[in-house]
Amino acid sequence: MKEVYVAGVAMADVGRHILDPHELGARVCAEALRDAGLLPREVEGIATTPHGYMADFRRFPSQRMADYLGITAGFMMDVDSGGNSSTAAVQVACDRIRLGRISSCLVYAAQREVPKKEVQKDVLGHFHLIRAANSLYDTYQAAYGVISPLPFYAMAVQRYMHKYGLEPEDVARVAVLLREHALRHPQAAYKEPLTVEEVLLSPLVSPPIHRLESSEMHDGAAAVVLVSEELLRDRSRAVRIAAVAEAHDPTNFLPYRGEIDEFPCVERAVRAALAESGYRVEEVDVAEVYGAFAGLELIMYERLGFFPRGEAPAAVREGRTTHGGDVLLNPSGGRLSLGHPAYVTPLLEIVEVVRQLRGEAGERQRPGAAVGLVHTEQGFINGSIVMVLDREMS
Amino acid sequence: MDTKPYMQDRAAEEFFSRLSEGKFQSTRCRGCGRVHYPPRVVCPECLSGEMEWVDLPCEGILLAFTWQEAAIRCRKPEVLGLVELEGVGNVFTRVDAPYEDLHIGMRVTFSTWTSPDGLVLHQFRPVGNT
Ligand SMILES: [Zn+2]
Repeated sequence: MKEVYVAGVAMADVGRHILDPHELGARVCAEALRDAGLLPREVEGIATTPHGYMADFRRFPSQRMADYLGITAGFMMDVDSGGNSSTAAVQVACDRIRLGRISSCLVYAAQREVPKKEVQKDVLGHFHLIRAANSLYDTYQAAYGVISPLPFYAMAVQRYMHKYGLEPEDVARVAVLLREHALRHPQAAYKEPLTVEEVLLSPLVSPPIHRLESSEMHDGAAAVVLVSEELLRDRSRAVRIAAVAEAHDPTNFLPYRGEIDEFPCVERAVRAALAESGYRVEEVDVAEVYGAFAGLELIMYERLGFFPRGEAPAAVREGRTTHGGDVLLNPSGGRLSLGHPAYVTPLLEIVEVVRQLRGEAGERQRPGAAVGLVHTEQGFINGSIVMVLDREMS
Repeated sequence: MDTKPYMQDRAAEEFFSRLSEGKFQSTRCRGCGRVHYPPRVVCPECLSGEMEWVDLPCEGILLAFTWQEAAIRCRKPEVLGLVELEGVGNVFTRVDAPYEDLHIGMRVTFSTWTSPDGLVLHQFRPVGNT
């Protein structure tokens, strides 16, 4: 099997965008191709995701982009599996390259949502979008008016806090740390520092989750260029995809059986990815973790194996997850403070890990970072994909 | 404006129709006897397609609870929870009690609640509260 490398990465600032998502996508695709030193005519595959959850539904975005950039593809795919979509696209593209079917693939995502303020200003005019959000859940969950997985996550965090006797400060602290990380990132959506008091004084959106412990839907775009060795133009900046693994649980949003704060798919995915890569979790220098809420961020640190159950809050408090710690977790600011365009998020995670492994992460750089991990999830963490990346050893 | 949830399948229509008559019921497999929640038209245990509707337990354990800031149909904040029914599984439900009065592990009992737009849903309240 051939090795697969990330040769080019690009991301737009996370926040609000005026450009159409297709145009925003074209910009990051062009930038990622320049970064890889490839021209569109050298690209053999293209894959993407929908432009958002509440966005107007537009089909075949990858075909439109192939036309726009002039890509003659031997592989094309539009993926929609929620938060895992763009990692799933990367995974399939990787496999196509490993098999030798194609030798390069552009994977991008561009998301632009109807701003929340506009929805609130004219609820009736946007009711089709609200109904669509409600219909994501099965009837037994949707009947209670659910339009986001927030109440499900709230109950999972409540049980996690209950089991380990955690205080609100234990959860708030990770939101504060992620904000500190984001302040080192010029493209992050949030620019103001945050304190534990501010987090705990922010309104409860679904107890025990405070507003400042939950991620907002942002606009954004990112692209990555995957290549086989022959198309690698600059070995010194190459990052290898050492492993990708995927695991799902037989659940759809809130589990009807068993514990709701376990998320066993994460453990299976990370175990498989590490085994395939040959690294132990202790060897991971830097990781981007898909934690859409502060409490879930902590649970994910534990499920990924960085800390035993119930010990992530202490690890955060002791500085073990930040610069100078055991492992640098979410140096980008994570979903809470980099910002969270959900379909783009997995690519933003890959962009950050690639920049870290190349030594190009500026003020956020973990010195000597050689092994990185990316974790993404879909639904109510009903499924997870974990990637392990490393620096090219020449 | 139609705020009712999509009745995504026949079993869901049947479940909510029975609920509107005050019956808290789901399917039991005639092949292996397993009770499913939510109701199904095929049994994941034995793959039989022969089902009958049976009463679900009316008492359970409150596993977790919260309220949601934004929702359709339900008032806000509406207290929601997850109730474990022994031998059946977890039921996501409205909770008929103030958030402050609840704690994990308390016993709760079934009743029905009619939403402002006329949909009959299940709710649970702490045992002993009337
Ligand atoms: Zn059966």
